[in-house]
Amino acid sequence: MEIVLISLLNGFVYGMLLFMLASGLTLIFSMMGVLNFAHAGIYMIGAYVAFEVSRMVGFWPALIIAPLVCAAIGAAIEVWGLRRTHHNGHIAELLFTFGLFFIIERGVQMIWGMLPVPYRVPTALDFPLFSLYGINFPAYRAFMLLIAGGMLLSIWLLLTRTRIGLIIQASLTHPNMVSSLGHNVPRVFTMVFAGGCFLAGLAGVIGGNYQVTEPSMAAALGPIVFVVVVFGGLGSLAGCFIASIIVGMIQTFAVVVDFSLSSMLGGVGDWIGTKNLLGEILAVPVSRIGPLLPYAMMVLMLLFRPRGLMGTRDT
Amino acid sequence: MTAPVTPSAIAAGQGADAQPVRRNWIWFVLVIATAILPWFFYDWNTGRHSGFLLTMLSQMGMMIIFSLSYNMLMGQAGLLSFGHAVFFGLGGYSTIHFLNAAEAGSLPLPLELMPLMAGLAGLVFGIVFGYMAAKQRATAFAMITMGIGELIATAAIMFHNFFGGEGGVSANRMIERSLFGVDYSSSIEVFYLILAWTLLAALGMLFLTKTPLGAMANATRDNFERAQFMGYDPRRIRFLQFALSGMFAGIGGGLYAITYEIVTFDAVAAPLSANAVLMTYIGGATIFYGPILGATLITLLQSGLSLLSNAWLIYVGVLFISMVTFAPAGLAGMIQAHAPVSRAGRMGRLVVPYIRLSIPGLATLLGFVGLVELASFLTIGEAQGKTLVLFGNKIDVHEVMPWAVAVGLLVLGGAWLRFEVKSFALVWDDVTADLKQRSV
Amino acid sequence: MTVPALSLKEVRKNFGPTEIIRGVDLDIKLGERHAIIGPNGAGKTTLFNLISGRFPISSGSISLNGTRIDTLEPQRINRLGLSRSFQITSIFHRMTVFENIRCALLWSQGYKYSFWSPLWLQSSLNRRAEQLLDELNLLGRRDLQAGLLSYAEQRSLEIGITIAGGATVILLDEPTAGMSHSETEYAVDLIRKVTEGKTLLMVEHDMRVVFDLADTISVVVYGQVIASGKPAEIRANRAVQEAYLGALTE
Repeated sequence: MEIVLISLLNGFVYGMLLFMLASGLTLIFSMMGVLNFAHAGIYMIGAYVAFEVSRMVGFWPALIIAPLVCAAIGAAIEVWGLRRTHHNGHIAELLFTFGLFFIIERGVQMIWGMLPVPYRVPTALDFPLFSLYGINFPAYRAFMLLIAGGMLLSIWLLLTRTRIGLIIQASLTHPNMVSSLGHNVPRVFTMVFAGGCFLAGLAGVIGGNYQVTEPSMAAALGPIVFVVVVFGGLGSLAGCFIASIIVGMIQTFAVVVDFSLSSMLGGVGDWIGTKNLLGEILAVPVSRIGPLLPYAMMVLMLLFRPRGLMGTRDT
Repeated sequence: MTAPVTPSAIAAGQGADAQPVRRNWIWFVLVIATAILPWFFYDWNTGRHSGFLLTMLSQMGMMIIFSLSYNMLMGQAGLLSFGHAVFFGLGGYSTIHFLNAAEAGSLPLPLELMPLMAGLAGLVFGIVFGYMAAKQRATAFAMITMGIGELIATAAIMFHNFFGGEGGVSANRMIERSLFGVDYSSSIEVFYLILAWTLLAALGMLFLTKTPLGAMANATRDNFERAQFMGYDPRRIRFLQFALSGMFAGIGGGLYAITYEIVTFDAVAAPLSANAVLMTYIGGATIFYGPILGATLITLLQSGLSLLSNAWLIYVGVLFISMVTFAPAGLAGMIQAHAPVSRAGRMGRLVVPYIRLSIPGLATLLGFVGLVELASFLTIGEAQGKTLVLFGNKIDVHEVMPWAVAVGLLVLGGAWLRFEVKSFALVWDDVTADLKQRSV
Repeated sequence: MTVPALSLKEVRKNFGPTEIIRGVDLDIKLGERHAIIGPNGAGKTTLFNLISGRFPISSGSISLNGTRIDTLEPQRINRLGLSRSFQITSIFHRMTVFENIRCALLWSQGYKYSFWSPLWLQSSLNRRAEQLLDELNLLGRRDLQAGLLSYAEQRSLEIGITIAGGATVILLDEPTAGMSHSETEYAVDLIRKVTEGKTLLMVEHDMRVVFDLADTISVVVYGQVIASGKPAEIRANRAVQEAYLGALTE
């Protein structure tokens, strides 16, 4: 029982982290039709910048500086890169962000090396908040929830209470119409792109010391974020939120689940044995298969319901 | 009511319908040159071939097949797949098992036909995954191929049956069964096998482009709806194209298995899928031979440049996005654009403009490379204890001077380059307009 | 009672809460030359899109030679003998003119999804393509990239692609849009020639073309057919005149 409760909390935290990344991606994708491959790269930049800034001035300034740096980078990418490739088509834009991701990954590797950097939780927050069944729940995770929750609230307020928010909402589902209505869509695009990168950077700041900050972090988290976006569906932030929590929960719970498919199937598992691939797949405990699950989910979702959980348009 | 009839427009239509042998003499020359190339590096004293050269050429062959097969999707069908390595790798894994079976006596096939079996494996997987993927629209297709790619790559690390887990699976290619009595103990023999299969596969894929399926794949790419109103189900076309591309990729994987005698999860992993995208796009997705150029270039860079610089992948990345932004038709596209000019004998007019371009271009390139290299030596290089040596002079990366020079070259060279590009464009437009005039 | 070539019964189409097509009943007889006219936004192209299977209908039925087609995919409808052209020229810009027509012939000539028959060896196919190009007066352009043709030539190619497959019911969506006077005359002659013996349904704004080609006219206003009959009747129809005030040209 303890495990369930702890996993629930951890899964929620991880899910919120995913949401911070996926929300920016969904916004950008729904509005501009660009699947920003470099998004996870921005996340990584956020973590590394935060690391450097924390080393020099401290964690709290990093919390503000790193996301701003990422937003600036995002704006630069949009203005000098994406706008130029826009007239070459969606595929060109996608390939551009893909190439960008490549460069970011290698660049980070080059500058900081292949090994993880010691980006740690600030000592001010490094204490157990409470104890549940003898297992400590670190205060930092509560902090993460706080930041993520605050961010969620601000986005919600921005989108529903401000004029620009309404424009963005409209562009989520009817981008062409919004453009025809005469809004300065390029400027909105740049803002949304920079905003998405701000979120990714913020996620990097708080996620980088929660997980390990190393050059492969982008490649590890990137595909999962895509899974979330696809799962939640285009044009719906609510769907994105639900999908983030679901994927977060699944990945967290999978680690603690020890039984395997064949153990559930009883005798059939024994009969197939483990000498062949099918038997092996059935016999592997869910805890080991954890990394596979999100991809399986995404593939299944695309096969049976391409518009995701709550998407307003087909992917 | 008449439209300007440009030579390139007419040439576009000629295709293979007109004298295929005469028009493509350069490819014959290249194939023969490649076949005899290893002998120029043969060490007559020790009686050994250059291992480096043979490895590189063998890798090139596999990558040529791989990227040509990828272009069946990207360039010909307009499909962007991020999981193409799956077919290459699964073809490789299957071949390892076929080789082991051959050695055990249960599969009495000569080694030369093993890539064919690999192709069949690739075809089977192509059919299975194609059934899942081909129904999707553009972005969903990219996502589902990515998902399948990640699934297979993760499975390859996880499972021991078939995949062999992290260590992979291995086999012995000397199965003592051959159509030509060759035992494939030396790399030159393997090289010729690869050369032969690369040629076969390339010709096969070329043939496909000139069949109804190939034509309709292009049609579906250009106009989904129109293809429907010609009686075709575009999804079925995509499915078939996908399956066939899987087959050819599988052949590449089979050659990989034969060459290295071991296949691990790298052969199905995301970096290899990414490689396919890079090679094909840089080479040029719109022209059949584009991926051949791309694969050759990237393999050269991989074999050569990686030895010279830690940052070579950054250069590849920058090359890639430069092409995406400025030259979406790739290298082949740029070459092809010159074809009508050359045919009209006007290349001379471009010589001086190109020279004028190349000087600031070189300066900008040097500046950029300089900055990247300085940065890399500042960080990684130091950790590795290496120092930057240029023309025999040691360069201290902590001094301001080298940085200033690099930045200066980059900025000034870049500004001058922009100027030259504009005047080049004027000359280019002039020449092409002239061509249009002459042909009317 | 012969089966109409095309039959629409109580066809309705909503896009969200908006009803675009509000109950259309239309019968097109075999061999008829039927024009659909109406003010902009009346739903004419939507009707075409419904018939050709681009969008599903919300209710009602559409039948081609007696067979229900409103639930079929566009390619199935095409194989049953209906073909359409598009308002915005829909050819394959990167292929040559010849290749465009050849592609349009593939299915009807039985090639299906063949990946084993080399195109350059198919002599009867290639001959048929050239024949068709000759009829379209595009033979001199055969090796030119289709995207480089003049607008009017592209429209001719569009028509050619539409009829190449041998469809018996042809839908032409504003075939003369954007053409000059002489280009229009040429196009009308071409359309008349190539749709000889077939059933023609077209959307047109140019009244000269309509009265030149059509033997039956239907007027669509706000998603409904308000009048249908011989050209002379339509001309005299009050409701039509009201709906079209000022738009009729002589």
